[in-house]
Amino acid sequence: MSEVTLNHVAKSFGPVNVIKGIDLQIKSGEFVVFVGPSGCGKSTLLRMIAGLESITSGKISIGGTIVNDLPPRLRDIAMVFQDYALYPHKSVFENMAFGLRLRKLPEHEIQTRVNNAAGILQINHLFERKPRELSGGQRQRVAMGRAIVRQPKAFLFDEPLSNLDALLRSEMRVEIKKLHHRLGNTIIYVTHDQVEAMTLADRIVVLQEGNLVQYDTPDGIYNRPAAKFVAGFTGSPPMNFAPCRIGEGGRVLHVAGGVDLPVPARCVDECARHIGREVIFGLRPEHIGVPTVDAPGIERIDGSVLLVEPLGAETLGLIKLGKHDKAAEVTGRFEPDARLQVGQNLPIALDLNHFHLFDCKTGLAIRGNGW
Amino acid sequence: MSDAAVPKQKDMSEPMLGALLLLPAVLLLLLVVVYPIGTLFWTSLHSVDNANPQAGEQWVGIANYLRAFDDDRFWHATLQTVIYIVVTVPGALVVGLGLALLANQPFRIQWPVRLSLLLPWALPLVFAGLIFRWFFEYQTGIVNDLLARIGVEPLGWLSDPTLATIAICIAIIWKASSFMALMLLAGLQTIPKSLYEAAEVDGASKWQQFVEITLPMLRPSIFVALIFRTITAIQTFDIPYAMTGGGPGDATETLAMYIHKSTLDFLDFGYGSALAALMFLFSMVATSGYLRYTRRSSGRGAEE
Repeated sequence: MSEVTLNHVAKSFGPVNVIKGIDLQIKSGEFVVFVGPSGCGKSTLLRMIAGLESITSGKISIGGTIVNDLPPRLRDIAMVFQDYALYPHKSVFENMAFGLRLRKLPEHEIQTRVNNAAGILQINHLFERKPRELSGGQRQRVAMGRAIVRQPKAFLFDEPLSNLDALLRSEMRVEIKKLHHRLGNTIIYVTHDQVEAMTLADRIVVLQEGNLVQYDTPDGIYNRPAAKFVAGFTGSPPMNFAPCRIGEGGRVLHVAGGVDLPVPARCVDECARHIGREVIFGLRPEHIGVPTVDAPGIERIDGSVLLVEPLGAETLGLIKLGKHDKAAEVTGRFEPDARLQVGQNLPIALDLNHFHLFDCKTGLAIRGNGW
Repeated sequence: MSDAAVPKQKDMSEPMLGALLLLPAVLLLLLVVVYPIGTLFWTSLHSVDNANPQAGEQWVGIANYLRAFDDDRFWHATLQTVIYIVVTVPGALVVGLGLALLANQPFRIQWPVRLSLLLPWALPLVFAGLIFRWFFEYQTGIVNDLLARIGVEPLGWLSDPTLATIAICIAIIWKASSFMALMLLAGLQTIPKSLYEAAEVDGASKWQQFVEITLPMLRPSIFVALIFRTITAIQTFDIPYAMTGGGPGDATETLAMYIHKSTLDFLDFGYGSALAALMFLFSMVATSGYLRYTRRSSGRGAEE
């Protein structure tokens, strides 16, 4: 059993609270990603689990053992660092074997484990090299190999891909995911990259200023964001937002810039409870496009093209909704065939079945049953 | 760049400009390094006895060098210098490493630590010598006072050849270890913190981290520090000069002190120059030895 449990864990540096009481349950074998902007406390939280940072209050347990006062070496974890932290004066083999030698494993056991791990990562041919003779991707593999040979209860990854170029990053992302399928260990992975979080995680922890904002599956994070912060953090480009007011008994959204949108029937009851409140309307770019079919919840509206960003597989268009001067500007995803032109007026379809509402002050999502 | 714009300047610029820019440095080196060393060797092949100026300057070939090999005082001074090197170079390294490790700790208030590291280094050598001379004074020195408190008879630190050598070594180590510490501290601060964290997660104790991370990572700094220290140790002069003046007799006299005495007290410029040339030779041998060792070990690293 190697579940990791955080029980109201907090940390402060003097008067500054960097982690503000986090409760978290990570199941055995689960791949959990901590994600958030820089300074949100995600690395600090990981380092607290590793034992490299002290805990101000709360409890952390790994595999059922409370580890608050245990040094890192007794926590049975292995860590992959952002800068890989390979020992520069040791060969690749010795880098991987170091932790095992310190634990006084018999030589044949060390050989077997290092060879197995190197086989998985395809780095056997690098055994004699020093870290400085390796490429970034190879160093990354060695750092992971060093973690694998330890056969720990949990792997901790601290932004392991952020030093790689984009192509290598997506390659290593696949490797890490394969590795998790193969080994099945508990993995806690820190990143600021929402794509890494979405692609790798079984569940994602979104952190903001030391608070846990949402702990959910990638699907839940993307489609049912608990707060405007989460919605604006995921997706590329992120969700469109516009200030809005609910009117007409919860049946109409008065979006800033003089655009009125009908609320889908299933959402009317919940919206009726927030009539007159200042809220924020949110819609993802993929739900804004050229009208194709008429279906319930799909609203046609006149728009004009302000900016076109062709990406090849798709084209992003910045669209002004309505004719009003202060009309809302939203980004939509279009087929390349749409041949958008700057200044062009065209009908735009908004798929309101996927709209979101957030409270203006707290930023929390307003959501009824079945949204 | 278009060819028409600056056609001729480009022809001369690269090599000529390079030579032109090098010229001041080369001239300066010729003036203050090559010329004096050349003069030194030239003088060492002559008899230039300013105590007897009428004799004039006469070519004597290697006579001055042969004289040195028969000179017991030269051999004694050389041996004494070797003792200072053998004792104070490792001594200063160990003490300096300790100080550097201490100063590298995350102290809440950094400046007292840094200051206490810098102070011995900033102090002129002669001052350090004088301070330690007072420490080791027979009647009023603090060392004998402390010894008296634990019931030890006062020792003639500066009048006994062995004790005087020990006292001088202590003073040199005190003075030299702060420079060692500064160099090693710079080296320590280049070691990424994540290496220690990785080792900690891997299961290394503090001592294992020191042996497995700190020492190997510090090796280049240690070598540079050792080279610097050895070269200055070969030239040891100020501290024994201030503490004992080479005494008792000439028991604690170093090679540099004997050269000084030969030239400035005995005014025997020819012989003094020959001794200085020999010391220069020792320095070169020691330095090239170190350099060869570092080059070989770094070459071996690259092959692996």
